[in-house]
Amino acid sequence: MSFEFTKEELEYIEELSQRYPSPKALMLPLLWIIQNRLKHIPTEAFKAVADITKTSEAQVYGVVTFYTMFTLKPTAKYHIQLCKTLSCNLCGSKELLNLLKERFNLLPNQQNGDFQLTLVECLGSCGTAPVVQINNRLYENLTPAKLQKILEDFS
Amino acid sequence: MSSKMVEFTVNGKKLLAFEGLNLLKYLLDNGYNIPHYCYHDSLGADGNCRMCMVEIKGKKRPQIACDTLIKEGLEVNTNTPTIKRLREEILQMQLRNHPVDCPVCDKAGECYLQNYYMDYGLYKEGKHKKQKIKKSKNIEFGRNVVYDEERCILCKRCVRFFANITKTNELGVIKRANHSTISTAPNQKLQSQYAMNIVDLCPVGALLSSDFKFKQRVWFLQSSPSICHGCTKNCNITIDYSSTKFQAERIYRYKARRNEDVNGYFICDEGRLSYKEYHTNRVTQIEYKNSIIDFKEAISKIGIEIFIHKDIVILASPNLYIEELESIIKWSKKLNARLYSPLECYKDKEFADNWLKEELRVANAYGVMALEIDTSTPDISSDTLLINFDHKLAQDINTLHRIDFITHSINSQGLILPLASWVQSSRHLINSSGIKQYAPKTLVANKPILTVTEWIEAIGGDI
Ligand code: SF4
Ligand code: SF4
Ligand code: FES
Ligand code: FES
Repeated sequence: MSFEFTKEELEYIEELSQRYPSPKALMLPLLWIIQNRLKHIPTEAFKAVADITKTSEAQVYGVVTFYTMFTLKPTAKYHIQLCKTLSCNLCGSKELLNLLKERFNLLPNQQNGDFQLTLVECLGSCGTAPVVQINNRLYENLTPAKLQKILEDFS
Repeated sequence: MSSKMVEFTVNGKKLLAFEGLNLLKYLLDNGYNIPHYCYHDSLGADGNCRMCMVEIKGKKRPQIACDTLIKEGLEVNTNTPTIKRLREEILQMQLRNHPVDCPVCDKAGECYLQNYYMDYGLYKEGKHKKQKIKKSKNIEFGRNVVYDEERCILCKRCVRFFANITKTNELGVIKRANHSTISTAPNQKLQSQYAMNIVDLCPVGALLSSDFKFKQRVWFLQSSPSICHGCTKNCNITIDYSSTKFQAERIYRYKARRNEDVNGYFICDEGRLSYKEYHTNRVTQIEYKNSIIDFKEAISKIGIEIFIHKDIVILASPNLYIEELESIIKWSKKLNARLYSPLECYKDKEFADNWLKEELRVANAYGVMALEIDTSTPDISSDTLLINFDHKLAQDINTLHRIDFITHSINSQGLILPLASWVQSSRHLINSSGIKQYAPKTLVANKPILTVTEWIEAIGGDI
């Protein structure tokens, strides 16, 4: 399998590049473009990213595997990103995790049907902890009951 | 760094240094034992390991020395109880997931982590018995480098070598937190012709040379400074060898030795692995027409050959030391012989690059030129006597009248005399920038082998 940016994507990248002093800064925008289009970042795409950002494939690999929002394999239809950092932890993220385990048979870094669970670092929404991000949407002030309802509505 | 000298104190002692000099560099260069991993002279500071903490007067918290610049009146303390505790804590963290497999680790004996634990370890039983994160122990990075993820302390020296020095960015840190590890890009291997330098750079046993792996414990090795003979660059190296009772000494590895004027901190992989030549295919006995003869017989044979031949050509290897070449020059005058040291056959365009590796793959070609030895190819007729001092060209010359002083065996039907290799001899070399360097004698063979100068002396007495 090989990867290429589409013509439209390349035009958008060209536009973006005007904003940054160095091409290295395009790293995250480029990865977002790929993740959004393919629901993952295939390793075949590393070279295209490295070429534009003037970095190496090893460096791109580092960035992709550092951030939890980028995945090397296609994500399930519903990618549940449960915050495991301090504020959410204190406000009950453990109970949410238990619910996912017991009710939905979901374990961290695993897929089950349409659902996939990843434990992530602070989502920047500590004020409304505990929070869960599902695909691109944030769900705040959660309780196990609320989360259960949200997930049941999906299926 | 400015050229202004400033006064500052370390542990109460007043000192002078250039303003703006990196504090850790100063401390290390001046014999202070400051634990550190990520800082390296060739790579500079990265500030990621936090091991180099010192206390600085006026600062609330301990600071990393590698990110502190020396200035007037700076008051540094390197050995307070706080610093000691910090070092202990950092070591605890580094050992949290470390396999503590020193007994089977090649780096044991020269590992920073191990050394620091000797000084700052807590030595509490059970401390390291908690469930650890398991990772891979034998990842082949390519180019003879193997990686043990579990032993890695993530100082990034290896990553920075490819980022700052070779600029090829072949390694990266992947994943995060406890799962972080060093990796090449997926399905790729290292490419750099200098990759094995990261084995020298790695402060722990995470990067190993597949060539040296499981060959010898480092505490059985002795080290000697020397000069690589792989090309006219004359990179500075350390030869690590061991001697076992009643056996010839054996070389286990070459390592890069720092010399700012020549090779900086590094050497090429090919030069590094060229130690193998010392042990392969060596000539150890005096032979004449394929049968062994003794020393006396050999000396008289040489005398006769020289006596009956009018035309004598001497070939001197450009790998020989200056002083050895000088003895050959003297002797050739005495014999009225024609002396040559052709260089053409040592040329290898493919080998050269724009960093260290140079086209002439022989150590002292510039010494040969400085001594004005003829570097053209000699005419050899059927009446000519060829006296060969280990020159590469001699193996392609077909003549019956020949005397070969050689280190490595070649196809010859004449008189063959074993010659000490450059490791078994000493003296000076001149490199391509005209730098003259001394290479000490490192090894002695089980049965002593004569050097060029010793052979000439031995013969000189008899003719
Ligand atoms: S492999 Fe060695 S040099 Fe590289 S980051 Fe790990 S400990 Fe540092
Ligand atoms: S560059 Fe030349 S002298 Fe230096 S290590 Fe390589 S072969 Fe030896
Ligand atoms: S800790 Fe969960 S959003 Fe900040
Ligand atoms: S040597 Fe200073 S932080 Fe690593």
